[in-house]
Amino acid sequence: SGAAWARGLFSWARPDRWLASGSLFPLSCIHTSTSLQKTGKWEKKNRIVYPPQLPGEPRRPAEIYHCRREIKYSKDKMWYLAKLIKGMSIDQALAQLEFSDKKGAKVIKEVLLEAQEMAVRKHNVEFKSNLHIAESLTGRGRYVKRVRCHGKGMFGIMKISRCHYFVKLVEGPPPPPEPPRTGFDQAKEYVQQLRNRTLVHTL
Amino acid sequence: VLILVRSPLPRLRALLQRCWGRLERSLWPGVLGGQSPPWGPALAVQGPALVPQEINDAGESCAEAPSLLDGVLWMAAPKQRRTVEVNRCRRRHPSKLVEMKRNIDVCPECGNLKQKHVLCGYCYAKVKEETRLIRIEIHKKEGGPFNAPTVETVVLYEGEKPAEKDAGKRIIERARKRPSWFVQN
Repeated sequence: SGAAWARGLFSWARPDRWLASGSLFPLSCIHTSTSLQKTGKWEKKNRIVYPPQLPGEPRRPAEIYHCRREIKYSKDKMWYLAKLIKGMSIDQALAQLEFSDKKGAKVIKEVLLEAQEMAVRKHNVEFKSNLHIAESLTGRGRYVKRVRCHGKGMFGIMKISRCHYFVKLVEGPPPPPEPPRTGFDQAKEYVQQLRNRTLVHTL
Repeated sequence: VLILVRSPLPRLRALLQRCWGRLERSLWPGVLGGQSPPWGPALAVQGPALVPQEINDAGESCAEAPSLLDGVLWMAAPKQRRTVEVNRCRRRHPSKLVEMKRNIDVCPECGNLKQKHVLCGYCYAKVKEETRLIRIEIHKKEGGPFNAPTVETVVLYEGEKPAEKDAGKRIIERARKRPSWFVQN
């Protein structure tokens, strides 16, 4: 897993940028927090180890964190797909993404399949279909500014945007959707708020 | 106070518009000739002595054609920056969210997913590949363009003989077992 981690670390590192980042001596043992050496918090979440559970406790469901960095897509457009599959079971999510026309759907599908395989191989998940998507987020990647030529010698500066995609799979069936808030619920909450009022700074 | 402030504004506005028009005409001569009608004196205005004349002309032009000025230089522009809350309300409105598709089924042949009104992608790819190989055989037999025969074509796989009804037809041989989905007549 260390070799795989190192491979994953260097798969997106470009040699022309090694010296451009903070450290002058890339082979030294001085640890600097430059862009090359950042692992990312989401990847580290897979490494937490809980203490062993007591005999009476209910079984803690397995959690698998996976992400893909620097996807050539807009984070706002990716967010719509992330919102679509939030809370679905993994099979349903894969079905929806397969027939979606968006570019990000293909990428998210690959990420989900990778995460499913990781879950079965490393995280002790018994059934690959018994997973649901607890969280699915997008983040802003590194933007690059480029010149866009207009007519009459004018130019604009366009930004080439990239995004990250994060997903957390949890073992078990998907949770039932929340019932929508009715007027009765809102009225009950209002009455409760009125009842919670007290007098302050008094005897 | 309000009355005092209001009067110099049209003069200032007219002065600025004339400066801008002169600038535009000097930088891009002939491009904007058709668009902006001449709304100043033909004489080149120089020096402060002619400022009262300018003001009169500005006043006259304002009175003459306010609609022309408005038509040329008024453009819709946002007054205030849209806050992120307002932006979110627009971007996350249910009409803008991606809808869940409810027409996805399982293909009875191969077991992959397919949409109800669309052919199964896997089965179609299978058939497409076999058709490509049959076409290669046809190309080998014909040997060039415009050699298509006037009779029908029959595809036979390994161990198959042409039937009686396939007497005059062109026969294409494929060196493999007949696929289960390609039914022989």
